[in-house]
Amino acid sequence: MNKVGVLRFPGTNCDRDIWQAVETVKAKPEWLWHTDRFGWKDYKALVIPGGFSYGDYLRTGALAAMSPVMKSLKEAIDHGVPVIGICNGFQILCEARILPGALLRNEKLKFQDKWVQVKVENNKIPWSANFEKNRKVRLPIAHGDGRYYADSETLKKIEDRGQVWCRYLDNPNGSLNDIAGVVNDKGNVVALMPHPERAIFDWMGSNDGIGFFNWL
Amino acid sequence: MELKNKLKAYRLSEEEYKKISNLLGRAPKGVEWALFSALWSEHCSYKSSKVHLKKLFKQSPRVVVAFGENAGVVDLGQGERVAFKMESHNHPSFIEPYQGAATGVGGILRDIFTMGARPVALANYLCFGPTDSDRMPYLIDGVVSGISGYGNCVGVPTITGQTEFHRSYKNNILVNALAVGLFEEGDRVFLSKAEGQGNHIVYVGAKTGRDGVHGASMASESFDEDSESKRPTIQIGDPFFEKLLIESCIDVMKQDLVVAIQDMGAAGLISSSFEMASKGGVGFDIWLDQVPLRDTSITPEEILLSESQERMLLVCEPEKLEALQSVFHRWGLDATVIGEITTRKKIRLFWHDELLTDIDPDLLVEEAPEHTRPFEPWQPAHRVDTVREIGLKIKKASETLNGILTSQQGKSRAWVFRQYDQRVGANTVYDCEVGIGAIRLPRTNRALGLALGCRPQVMRFDAAEGAKDAVFLPALELAAKGFEPIAVTDCLNFGNPERLEIMSEFVATTRNVSLACESLVTPIISGNVSLYNETDGENITSTPSIGMIGLRSHLEKLPKEHFTEEKQKIYLVRSVQLTTGGQLQEDQDETTYGTGQIVPTKAAEFVNSILYIANGAGVTSSKVVGKYGLAYALARMCKGDIGCEVYVVGKNLALAKDEDLFLEHFYEVLFVVEQKHSGDFELRLKQKKLDFFMIGQTIKNEFKIDRSIQMKLKNLSEAYESPFVEDAK
Repeated sequence: MNKVGVLRFPGTNCDRDIWQAVETVKAKPEWLWHTDRFGWKDYKALVIPGGFSYGDYLRTGALAAMSPVMKSLKEAIDHGVPVIGICNGFQILCEARILPGALLRNEKLKFQDKWVQVKVENNKIPWSANFEKNRKVRLPIAHGDGRYYADSETLKKIEDRGQVWCRYLDNPNGSLNDIAGVVNDKGNVVALMPHPERAIFDWMGSNDGIGFFNWL
Repeated sequence: MELKNKLKAYRLSEEEYKKISNLLGRAPKGVEWALFSALWSEHCSYKSSKVHLKKLFKQSPRVVVAFGENAGVVDLGQGERVAFKMESHNHPSFIEPYQGAATGVGGILRDIFTMGARPVALANYLCFGPTDSDRMPYLIDGVVSGISGYGNCVGVPTITGQTEFHRSYKNNILVNALAVGLFEEGDRVFLSKAEGQGNHIVYVGAKTGRDGVHGASMASESFDEDSESKRPTIQIGDPFFEKLLIESCIDVMKQDLVVAIQDMGAAGLISSSFEMASKGGVGFDIWLDQVPLRDTSITPEEILLSESQERMLLVCEPEKLEALQSVFHRWGLDATVIGEITTRKKIRLFWHDELLTDIDPDLLVEEAPEHTRPFEPWQPAHRVDTVREIGLKIKKASETLNGILTSQQGKSRAWVFRQYDQRVGANTVYDCEVGIGAIRLPRTNRALGLALGCRPQVMRFDAAEGAKDAVFLPALELAAKGFEPIAVTDCLNFGNPERLEIMSEFVATTRNVSLACESLVTPIISGNVSLYNETDGENITSTPSIGMIGLRSHLEKLPKEHFTEEKQKIYLVRSVQLTTGGQLQEDQDETTYGTGQIVPTKAAEFVNSILYIANGAGVTSSKVVGKYGLAYALARMCKGDIGCEVYVVGKNLALAKDEDLFLEHFYEVLFVVEQKHSGDFELRLKQKKLDFFMIGQTIKNEFKIDRSIQMKLKNLSEAYESPFVEDAK
């Protein structure tokens, strides 16, 4: 079974990109609409793609975090199904309190699209099991709200427990401790701001991102 | 007196009033005033330009739709077709930059998906006044944020752009947005022609409000000191709503639930309904009281004229209505029946039980006025006899280059394009760092290139040359990256056409753009005209912005924009037909001199040869030499720790003086080639009988041109990347 559930909210716009990445590694993507409920047993993994769910009105990810499909997602998480959130997906997972911390407006208050270098510090989780520890990967970012923030206690906790998944080498947005991605304490939910699905072929400018998907 | 006021309020001339009365056999009444005002506006009717637009080159075997619809469509073969178009949103953006630019993007996207194509790429062409002029930092920031806010949210990547500065745009900025859409194999091309008696007319999307009432006629006027008061005619955009519309409309079109579709753009419900009816030769009954409203106090006339965004009008067979509504409902949108198609070719507008008008749509669409405004034959301007007479003044070449790199016109546009999502869709091949944009065509793994053209400085030098250059420069940029130029869209931004000199430039421009396109066999398949870009009697530089698409057969060995490795050979390939003092001379003296002229057949042949060369083995990067000439082009190819060492003097280039490093020769292309392939490369150049020189090689850490210029790469990039507008704010 290598079915991968791809969550879609009104306003999600990296859904087809994830579809392409999942198909590229020969896994089977399947849409999960924001009003759907689903059974966790059916999926090898779940992806929350980037975009502007519900227009990102109120706060980025805030409305999506309350949507019906998230109930099924939480059940799946409780049963250990691997989940990845990318960009808006990261914001949604933080808003839903599934991951620690929050993503604030970029330090320079502007949307930023650029290539960054990221160090993958934790390779004990499926999404980065293909990488040797501290592997540097080149990925693009494209976000207006990507500045990772957590209170000092939380920050210390996630640092101590190895929950910082990825770190920027050249911090583009003012994230605390250069954090680009985190993992939950159970180790099955990860999220990052950069877009691995936009770096899976040479012609995209880098193919480092495919490493996040080919365990599927 | 009362008539005079009414004519003024509805922006109609006395002559037009007479024509209307003749057509109707009586004076217009009630909402008819609004109908004529909107549909006979310059913006909707193209009354000053139509005569000349008819002569544009628009044929090639690839053309599926050229003009007359929301966008042009070309067939790329192998089951792939694209729709594309460029449109201006100048006036609204000057009044309210964020919303003006955002709704410009929204409008052009609707033009694309209305045809049945999924939008896959955006581009924008912007002209601003000097950054130290009044309101300019605010306008630049607003326009860029507006494009970014809208384009990023709807999830269509912005893959290329151009930003120009000149004082002629100080009180009239230009915001031109271009969108490209892709049809999947088997997708139908949807047209706006309404058909089928008894079919429903369905309204989909945002509710109607008062925003944008009289927008079309506002956009057809010159600016004056009252322009600020025109803010209520600006539309407000909601990109989230647009995203829902894109997905739902593509859905209903794929399921074949739609007969015809049109977006409600300029002049809103009026233009969409009248054009659909006129094209189909049918009549409409429309019940204006059924239109979903944001505010119940809106009058029928305001409903007709509203330019509220994110609204579509479609024709649907009654038995498919339920299925159609359920698709829209899934996306959280309402689809409301507001009328039906009748056989008698009349549009009847109802407000509750009252019949407001009963009028033949052709009177408004087909019978719109056509003016042949006076113009003079074109005379070449600013010419000298030899290159030496151009008289560009250079004291110290390295200081000159440094000055260019830090100037507003010469510095990096990264501040602008980093705010655009250039990669959503995961198909971007070339982003805004590269001279052209490109996306992958997923079905065939080919690439579709997109390049913009028109250098306002060349237009100011000589409109005929500028018009040819607006076509040949993007064609060369595509060719230098291995893309065959395919087709063109244009956005003709001009001043007041009632002025002889402006109309003469307009005519010279359309003629030369057309000649250039014909010589390349790149038909012009869509576009728009924006006239009256005039403020307090001052006209903008005539600016025919061009968007050109090109096709590359594969994704292997794509030439880069920058140097990639040291010890590679640098070639300059040329076909010099015109030489000018260029942007630098204009910066120095506010005018430009030149000698020669672009010969379309020769330029087209050069484009084809460059395409052949670019696809040869060993080419690692390429760049067309553009504004500010050779030194600036080479400087911009430096990246990271890879620079170059160029020997100009003493080689056969006949460049004896420092000024030669900054003259603009139309045309020159730089190629960087791996050592081991240089023999082959030169053979190909000779085969094509091209004029070429091996001018140097790539090296580490430094930028050197002969004894004239020597810079550390660190200093060079610091100069080029110096702050964009933040400082000016």
